[in-house]
Amino acid sequence: MPQVEIPRRYRGPTGGAANVEVSGESVRACIEAVEARHPGFLELVVDADGSLHRFVSIFVNDEELPRDALDIAVAGPDRISIAAAAAGG
Amino acid sequence: MPDSRTDRLIRVDMTQGSVEIEPVPEAWQMLGGRALSARILLEDCDPLCEPLGPDNLLIFAPGLLAGSAAPTSGRLSVGAKSPLTGGIKEANVGGNPGQDLMKLGYRAIVVTGQPADSEARFALDVTAEGASLRPADEHRGKWNYRLIEDLAAHYPATASFISIGPAGEMRLSGASVACTDQEQERHPARHAGRGGLGAVMGSKGLKYVSLDAGRRPARKPLRRKEFMALSKSFTRTYLEGPAQEPFPKWGTSVCVSEADKIYTFPYKNRVEGRSPDAETLDGMRIVESFEERGGGMHNCLTGCIVQCSNIVHDAEGNYKTSALEFETLTLLGSNCGIASWEDVADLDRLCDEIGLDTIETGAAIAIYMDSGAMEFGDAEGAKRILGEIAEGTELGRTIGNGAVATGRKSGHARVPAVKGQAIPAWDPRPLKAAGVTYCTSAMGADHTAGLIVEPGQDYEEAVRASQESQILNAVVDSSGFCQFLMPNLDEVRAFFGHFLGCEVSREAISDLGWRCLEDEWEFNRRAGFSSADDAMADCMQTDAIGPQELVWDMAPELVARAYKRFEPRDELFELRPS
Ligand code: SF4
Repeated sequence: MPQVEIPRRYRGPTGGAANVEVSGESVRACIEAVEARHPGFLELVVDADGSLHRFVSIFVNDEELPRDALDIAVAGPDRISIAAAAAGG
Repeated sequence: MPDSRTDRLIRVDMTQGSVEIEPVPEAWQMLGGRALSARILLEDCDPLCEPLGPDNLLIFAPGLLAGSAAPTSGRLSVGAKSPLTGGIKEANVGGNPGQDLMKLGYRAIVVTGQPADSEARFALDVTAEGASLRPADEHRGKWNYRLIEDLAAHYPATASFISIGPAGEMRLSGASVACTDQEQERHPARHAGRGGLGAVMGSKGLKYVSLDAGRRPARKPLRRKEFMALSKSFTRTYLEGPAQEPFPKWGTSVCVSEADKIYTFPYKNRVEGRSPDAETLDGMRIVESFEERGGGMHNCLTGCIVQCSNIVHDAEGNYKTSALEFETLTLLGSNCGIASWEDVADLDRLCDEIGLDTIETGAAIAIYMDSGAMEFGDAEGAKRILGEIAEGTELGRTIGNGAVATGRKSGHARVPAVKGQAIPAWDPRPLKAAGVTYCTSAMGADHTAGLIVEPGQDYEEAVRASQESQILNAVVDSSGFCQFLMPNLDEVRAFFGHFLGCEVSREAISDLGWRCLEDEWEFNRRAGFSSADDAMADCMQTDAIGPQELVWDMAPELVARAYKRFEPRDELFELRPS
C-alpha cells in the first residue's frame, strides 16, 4: 500500500503521526484516504478548487510532482511525501 | 576598514548628559546583539531597578556580523528591563541602524540615567567623529513619520534613525522603538515592538538616535577570502531554494491561510482558533493589490537577500505602511473581529506612527472588545482608540499599557498573556512547543524566542524542541542574521569562524545560545521571578478550540524541564528558525 509522509506542520489531524499507509490508485485518492481516517487533513494540502495549496509540494519516490498532476497513478510500494514550505511570523 | 577587535562601546549617562567611549572587554569578543545585551544587563544593571527609573539600562546592540558583507545580517537588538513584564527583554529589529552602528565600529550603545526635567527631550548623534547628546525639545510629541521627515531634511542622506513616538514619550508599556528602513525616504517602519522598550527610551528623555556611517565600507572579516566565498555560496543556495517559496517571497502575511487551517489564527480574543475572515485577511490580497496600486516587496535593510517586507499602498496608489505582517493581521485583524486587511493596514500605520507594538495593542483592544465595551469588528472604533493613545486619554493610556493593564482596568478575566506579555498569533493550544517557550523564556510570550510549528507533537518532544529552538534563536538574534533568512547553527558558526578568524565548534556555538538564555533567566531570578511566573494564561487552559477541543494541558513540571539542558543532538545544528 502507498505510504503518505506527513510534514510536521500538518500532523495536527493525524495526532502527530508522521506516516500513514493508505490504499488509493492516485496521489489525490491517497490524500483523500488520509482525510477519511484523519478528518481535517485534506484542506491543509488541497484548496477548495482541488488544486495544491500554495505552501505544499508533493514528491513521489523523491521526484517532485508537477502541481497539476495530483491524479497521477501510484501503486503498492510508492512513497508520497508531502512537503510544507516553512511559514514564518 | 574596522574589524571586530577594535570595536568599542558608547556609554551615555542621561542624568549627567555625558557620553563616553570605551573598548569592548576581551571576554565579550564573541558577543553581539541579544547575547551582548543580556550580558551587559546581568553585569551592569540592578535587576530590582524600576524599569522606568534612572537605574535601568537601555541597550542598542547590533548582531556580531552586522555591517559585514554577510547576507541579511544587519539586525539590531534593543534590550532593557521591561516595564511590561518586569523581566529582561530583547526585541530584534531590521532597518539600517544596526549595520550603520557596527560600520562605525560600535558594538553597542548603553544608555543609563534620566534627565532631571521629565519634559526635556534629547537626541544622540553617532558619526565617524564620535557620539554626542544634544537637546531635541522641538521634536517633543512628534509622531514617527513626521519626526523622520523633519530629521531627513537636516541630516545627510546616509543617516539612519532610531526613534520613539508619543507612546514612548508617555512611557506606555506597549510602546515600541522604531528604526528607519533602507528606502530613500527612510520610513520608520521597522519596530522593536515587544516588551515596551519604547517606554524605557522615553523614560530616558531620548527622542531619537541618528547614525551616520557615511560611505564607510563593510566591516572586515579576519579571514576575508573564506568569508566572502561563504557569503557567496550561501546566497546562491538561498536564492535557488527558499527564496522561491511563497514565504518568504510574499512575506509573512501570506501565512494567514495556513495558520488558519492549523488553528493558530485566533479570533475574537482567542475564543476560536480559526477565523471566518481568513480569506479577506490573507496576505495574498495585499500581493494582488500591488499590480493596480503599486507597492511590492522590498528589503528592510541594505544587503537583505530575503526581501520579505511588503510595502502597502492605498487605493490612490500612495504609500500607506510597511510591513504589514502576519502577526499584525492576526492581532489587530482577526483577533479583534476586523475583517478587512485595509483597515488593518490603517491600524498598522497608526501603531508605527504613535510607536506601539501591534501585537500587544491588538491583544489589548480585543480584550476591551471582549469586555463588552466595544463591538468586535469595529475598525473605526479601534482607530479612534489609537488616536486616544496618542492623546493620552485615560482609555488610551490603559490600552497603550497592554493586555494585562486593559484586562485589569475593564475587570475582564480573559487575558491571554504570559509573564505580563500578550500571546502572539502562534497559539500554544495546538503548538505545544511554542507554549513551552512562552512559559520558560525569560521574555514571556514571545514567539521570536523559540517557535516550532508542529501541531500534534509529543509533549516530551515539545519540551526538547522548544529548548532547541530557544538556543537557536538566541544565537541568530546575537548574530545579526534575520530569523527569516533561516540559517542553522552550523551555518552561523561557519560565518563566525571566518569573521573572527578562529574555529567555532558546535559546542561553542550552542554554548553561546545556552549562556544567553542562562544570563536572561538569572536576571529574572534576581528580579524576583519564580516558577509561579511561568504559568500559562488561565484562558488557554480552559477555552478549548477546534474539533479536538485543544487546550493548554501541559504539566508545569514537564514544562520546567526546558530549563535543564538536554545533551545536544545533530538535529539542533540542522534546525532552522520558523
Ligand atoms: S528578511 Fe524580511 S524582516 Fe528580515 S531583514 Fe530581510 S526584509 Fe527585513
